[in-house]
Amino acid sequence: MKKIILLLIGIVVLSTYSCQKDQLYQPLPTSISNQAGAPFSTSARIYAQVLSLYSSLRNGQLYGGRYQIYNDVKADNWINSTANSVTAYQTWNETIQSTSSEAINLWAACYTTINNCNLFIDGMNAYGTAVVGTALAANYIGEAQFVRALSYDALLVMYCQAYSVSSGNTPAVPLRLTGNSAYGDFSAAPATVAQVYAQIISDLNAAETALPISYGSDATSNTIRASRNTAIAFKTRVYLAMGQWANVVTEANKIVSATAPFTATSGVAYALQANIAKVFATPYTTTESVFSEPFTTTETVGGQNALADYFNTTGTTEFYINSSSALFTDAGWKATDARRGFIKTTGTKLNLTKWALGSPYLDWANVMRYSEVLLNLAEARVNLNGPSDAQAIALLNAVRQRSDATTVFATATLASIYEERNIEFLGEGLKWQDLLRLGLPIPAKGNITATPVGGFGSTYIWPMSSAEQLYNPLIGR
Amino acid sequence: MKKLLLKTVVVLLLLASHAYAQNRTITGTVTGKDDGAPIPGVSVVLKGTKTGTQTSAAGKFTISVGPGPQSLVVSFIGYISQTVPVTGTNLNIVLEPNQKALDEVVVVGYGTQKKQDVVGSISTINGADLVDQPVQNVEQSLAGKAPGVQITIPNGVLNTPPIFHIRGTNSISLGTQPLIVVDGVVSLTGDYSGGESGGNALSNINPDDIESIDVAKDASATAIYGSRAANGVVFITTKKGKKGDAVVGLDSWVGVTTVNRLPTELNTDQYIALKNQAIANASLSATTAMVPNYDANGNQINTNWKDIVYQRGIAYSTTASVSGGTDKTTYYMSANFGKQGGILKSTEFDNKSMLMNVDHKANKIISLGMKLSYSDQMDLAPTSSGSLSGEAYATAGLGRIAVLLPPNLAPFNNDGSYNLNPSTGALGTMNDKGVSISYTNPQVALDLDRANSEITHLASNIYLQLKPLEWMTFKTTYGIDYITSVNDNFFDPIDNFSGSAASNTASASLTTSINKRWLWDNTAQFDKSFGKNNVSLLLGNEQQGTSVDGFGLGRSILSDPSFNVIQAGFVNVSTAGLNLGKDYLVSFFGRLSYNFDEKYFFTATLRRDGSSVFGSDKKYGIFPSLAGGWEIAKESFWTKIGADKIFSSFKIKGGWGRAGNNSGLNSYSSYGSYGSGLFNGNSTLAPNATGNNQLSWETTSKSDIGIDFGILHDRITGSLGAYYNNTTGLILTYPEPPSAGLPGSPSVNIGSLYNKGIEINLDASVLKTKDFSWTANFNISFNKNMITALVPGVANITYTTSSLETANINQPSGSVGDLYIIKSAGVDPSNGLRIFLNAAGHPVEYNFIGVNEPGLGTAHYFNMDGTPYLTAAGGLNSINQTADASDYGNSTPKEVGGFSSNFKYKNFDLNVLFTYQLGFYVYYGTQATLTDQRFWNNSTIILDNWTTPGQVATYPRVVFGDNVSNGTSYPTDFNTYRGDFLKLKTINFGYTIPKPILSKIGIRSVRLYVTAQNLAIFTKYPGPDPEVSSNGTSNNAPGVDRNTAGNGRTLTAGFSVKF
Repeated sequence: MKKIILLLIGIVVLSTYSCQKDQLYQPLPTSISNQAGAPFSTSARIYAQVLSLYSSLRNGQLYGGRYQIYNDVKADNWINSTANSVTAYQTWNETIQSTSSEAINLWAACYTTINNCNLFIDGMNAYGTAVVGTALAANYIGEAQFVRALSYDALLVMYCQAYSVSSGNTPAVPLRLTGNSAYGDFSAAPATVAQVYAQIISDLNAAETALPISYGSDATSNTIRASRNTAIAFKTRVYLAMGQWANVVTEANKIVSATAPFTATSGVAYALQANIAKVFATPYTTTESVFSEPFTTTETVGGQNALADYFNTTGTTEFYINSSSALFTDAGWKATDARRGFIKTTGTKLNLTKWALGSPYLDWANVMRYSEVLLNLAEARVNLNGPSDAQAIALLNAVRQRSDATTVFATATLASIYEERNIEFLGEGLKWQDLLRLGLPIPAKGNITATPVGGFGSTYIWPMSSAEQLYNPLIGR
Repeated sequence: MKKLLLKTVVVLLLLASHAYAQNRTITGTVTGKDDGAPIPGVSVVLKGTKTGTQTSAAGKFTISVGPGPQSLVVSFIGYISQTVPVTGTNLNIVLEPNQKALDEVVVVGYGTQKKQDVVGSISTINGADLVDQPVQNVEQSLAGKAPGVQITIPNGVLNTPPIFHIRGTNSISLGTQPLIVVDGVVSLTGDYSGGESGGNALSNINPDDIESIDVAKDASATAIYGSRAANGVVFITTKKGKKGDAVVGLDSWVGVTTVNRLPTELNTDQYIALKNQAIANASLSATTAMVPNYDANGNQINTNWKDIVYQRGIAYSTTASVSGGTDKTTYYMSANFGKQGGILKSTEFDNKSMLMNVDHKANKIISLGMKLSYSDQMDLAPTSSGSLSGEAYATAGLGRIAVLLPPNLAPFNNDGSYNLNPSTGALGTMNDKGVSISYTNPQVALDLDRANSEITHLASNIYLQLKPLEWMTFKTTYGIDYITSVNDNFFDPIDNFSGSAASNTASASLTTSINKRWLWDNTAQFDKSFGKNNVSLLLGNEQQGTSVDGFGLGRSILSDPSFNVIQAGFVNVSTAGLNLGKDYLVSFFGRLSYNFDEKYFFTATLRRDGSSVFGSDKKYGIFPSLAGGWEIAKESFWTKIGADKIFSSFKIKGGWGRAGNNSGLNSYSSYGSYGSGLFNGNSTLAPNATGNNQLSWETTSKSDIGIDFGILHDRITGSLGAYYNNTTGLILTYPEPPSAGLPGSPSVNIGSLYNKGIEINLDASVLKTKDFSWTANFNISFNKNMITALVPGVANITYTTSSLETANINQPSGSVGDLYIIKSAGVDPSNGLRIFLNAAGHPVEYNFIGVNEPGLGTAHYFNMDGTPYLTAAGGLNSINQTADASDYGNSTPKEVGGFSSNFKYKNFDLNVLFTYQLGFYVYYGTQATLTDQRFWNNSTIILDNWTTPGQVATYPRVVFGDNVSNGTSYPTDFNTYRGDFLKLKTINFGYTIPKPILSKIGIRSVRLYVTAQNLAIFTKYPGPDPEVSSNGTSNNAPGVDRNTAGNGRTLTAGFSVKF
């Protein structure tokens, strides 16, 4: 009897516990499913997604550091010191190939950000707007459009010919505007440079309308998130790259007062700081900082990505200043200029100290400063009205005299504006963009000879990511 | 007194017999009881003497014996030895086959089967063949031991898991290592070290404790493990106690490991001369120069960095065991304590482990038992070896900086401090001019850094078995396999800082990973014979849960540089090693075996697996197999045609089945999801995985035929097998164009490949006399691996070594992990430039300095006529991998195997094992490092560089900074070699002290031995070892040797005692 009971118990236990079906479907313990609009189900999740778009843009391969670094070292102001192909050596010596990590990683970082923006915009339209309401949804979508525009702009700068070549009627990169979340056929032919610019402008225009006027007294958000004026400021950069001077003026006028002191009179009150050093000092949130990427001890830019690691001596010092460059042989850049204060001599070499902190490199990465808007406007005006344009002269002097009160420009020649940009934005990633848009060769540096202007296949612009060439049969080129 | 009396009598008798000594000649015939046929080669020895002979081909012998009562000892392999008293002058001796041999069992899924009943393909490795070897885990000693098994130890890092393939590479993206079943429990496998050492899960098994290893290869033997069986199943069985008095064993050895076949490099004078020549060629002499540096005594510094990095590793290991038992209870217990030093300085593998197996028969019906195994291992390493997967380009990688750093620099300054660049913490450049070094000074890391791992492993099971009737067995087993890995990493501030020592970036991390597996098996087994019909049926249910829970702490910037533990004061805190997951598997399975008269065999298995790791649309899979066998030697016609004269057994077998592979999938693999992060202190949510609800196992259909035979009374036994394994639904991380912006590539069941091959295994008792015996094994496996389909629309999938260099390609008609190489055509004798070949085979020369081509830019690539190499569009063109590399061939060997011989002469024994792998290429990327024209030191092969027009040189004109002409920038054919090798893997030479001496002091046996491992490699491969992989056990990027520290050579001496 006892045996039978035991046997019965055994059978009952077995049949009960021989299969725990619910265990076959394990819930995600540390992430959120992408099914049925789950990421858009609460306003907190949607807000977290908005911030993730900025976070994606802040990637060390992109605006967190390397994008600016590539733009600077590809031009003539730097000498490479480590010959390390992982840290922009090939960008510097103009030997980037489609398989180079720079060409692959920047490409991927841009498109990851673009797709996240696309997914976000799609998801907001399908689910999110109903959760947060139309007004907030419009703000958020505007932010996504702004981030998308910046990502496309980075692709155009590194991988494409200037807009001035055939009015942008040259092949650019694939233009993707809908979100991808599952396996499928994503072959796509490249759009033209003009089409991509049109999309950037369209996004920034939409963002201008949709974005909040400002984040009030929250200086941090005013610096690290886009408000209306941020979108306008970027339009001045984009129109300048397109050589559309009148549009630069139209946009800049929205955020630059007619006379000095130049400020934005509505929205975030952009203005030059009295001392440029303040822009690069904590808390990094001056009204001159149009847009910056923040870092904290728990959110670092990652190894071999930080501006300071490349240019300052607080890290590896991947690059030092090319003291025979046009910039450093320019007698007009006086020793007393405050911007010389960023130049430090180490032994026989010069280094840049705009970003001062060593590892983990918590200096914020500047993406755009108000002084650029002023010089964009000045350059556009000179192109339209000639070097004696009064506002252009005032704008140029505003930037110069902030750091060097002893120099007063009587005329604003294009050359003097270019040189001012060269001085003002050293290390900040505008030099290559300027050479590209102006159709200028890359001057010689160190043992690297000058690189003439060229199209695809030349060393002047980067080849597309080899991964794109392998896995996108329609990419052409 | 009694003993003394006996002795006296014996002495008297001996004397007496001697007095009447008169020799007789005895003749006789030895036949086998099984078939009555005469047996040749049987050893016939006069008992108590060394006089002996062997039977002739007709089984006859003649021996001369002295007068008086005498007896002969007659022995032959596979038969029970007999002692036959000499009666008369003609003896007919009938030897009985060794029933134990016939009853020999092999381990199969959820039980055992008589070896002769098995129709699946299973190779058995005896535990005795695995002992006395200086390995850290038993997988390392399986090379060459069984046909169809490829073991490749990828680097010289201690306790690294080897590449373990059975019958080829069955997958591209998923794991290809077999399922390992230890004492019935599917073991956790893989590398559990979170430090810089290896941390093989299976190192908890002491080779001394292994009774046998059974390697199941075909569908019939494996499909009962369903969705995990495609890569084969390896059953490891630990020793159990045997009835009898306690036997105490002690096995102990000491050894030394040295590094092998390192490249010869330039000394300081050669280095300075070469680099300054390169600097001059680059027109940089004004700014850059390598100069001699001097030590405190004024001697020129000539540092061999290999001596700084490598060492002679000292090792020792001791195992003590006790086993025994009564009619009711048997037990086996053992403990091991060992330390093994690696070839890299400050690396060590410390092992403490214990095993206990107890079995008890409660009564006629109930029996129960348990196993408890516990091990605690320290896998110590100071810093990156640069040899583990993902580390090939680590600037601190010891394998790399050992060969790369300049010999004119020293690890220490003349004042005894470390030679460091004061502003970067990298190696200081001393008096060199214009050189910047970003590589660390390895001396600092070796002295001060840690990347250790402590792994504790608990493997246990208990079972209860009921046998209500003789033919009916119910068994329930609950098993656990727990691994806890604690990883302690520390980077000292001395060489890890930026700017100044005050803002040091010292960092430490301490992570814990708790991996748990539980398993509950319930089986019912029915064995019954009806006349000549023997039927066996197994039904079972199994559940298995696996979980991982990892967490840890990272800290950086030490408050005081003298601290070196994470608990000290640091500035920053972060999380580290976070990991959380849980998988579940539930299965029902059955096996029906039938044989008629032990002549016709049939086995069918079926398993249904439900698993959490599959997509929601594909939760369950069914895996069947069918196999049959025919023992022809038992047929009467076999005897009639006389085949039995040669073949003592001859079994033909064949089968088909389906098995799956899900190794590497987890419960969340099929989910598309969003993950959290931070943006300026606020939470973010962003896509982090691309999903696929259809994701399921990869399916391998296995077809198999084979022959098992025995020749001359099983004096030679062999097996011959052929297989065709077709794998479909290969999971590929579908490489979408990066512009799709997906959060990671989706996993899709999409590709297919096959492996087909032939295996041959031969065992022979070549010679056996009274004093001398020689047994030998030879095995070889031929495997052809071919990818038949990848992702539609995608021609190939490439793989990158350590995120930097793409050296492998998978494409249809190629095999998994082919090398992807750019071809070249030597050095142009007219100008000393390297000639590459583009995709069309057109020669293109590379000029590092470049020539400014007006309107185009600086050209570096030129046609042979000196014109720039242009694109179709007229722009400057370059040689690059996407456009110009081609599939260079397979890097996984086509033929693997081994041959071994076991010699015994009197009390001496000698074991020799050779292993070989043939028919594959290895990309020797380290050679690019060794010829790079940056400040890196070079191999002496660079001395053959071009200097004068007309000179035919191996290496181009050296130009400082050139990292293209030597192959650093992309993998090239001049750095690719055939990897074929023959290795003298192990030699073990032993001496067993004669019993009479020992029995007096109560010792059962003593054996003294010396072992040599990796004593010699015969290969044309110029690197340290063609048995290598910079990408660990990765199956899609094998055959790359990039800065890897090679396998060491180990010599040991030891003894084994039984009381």
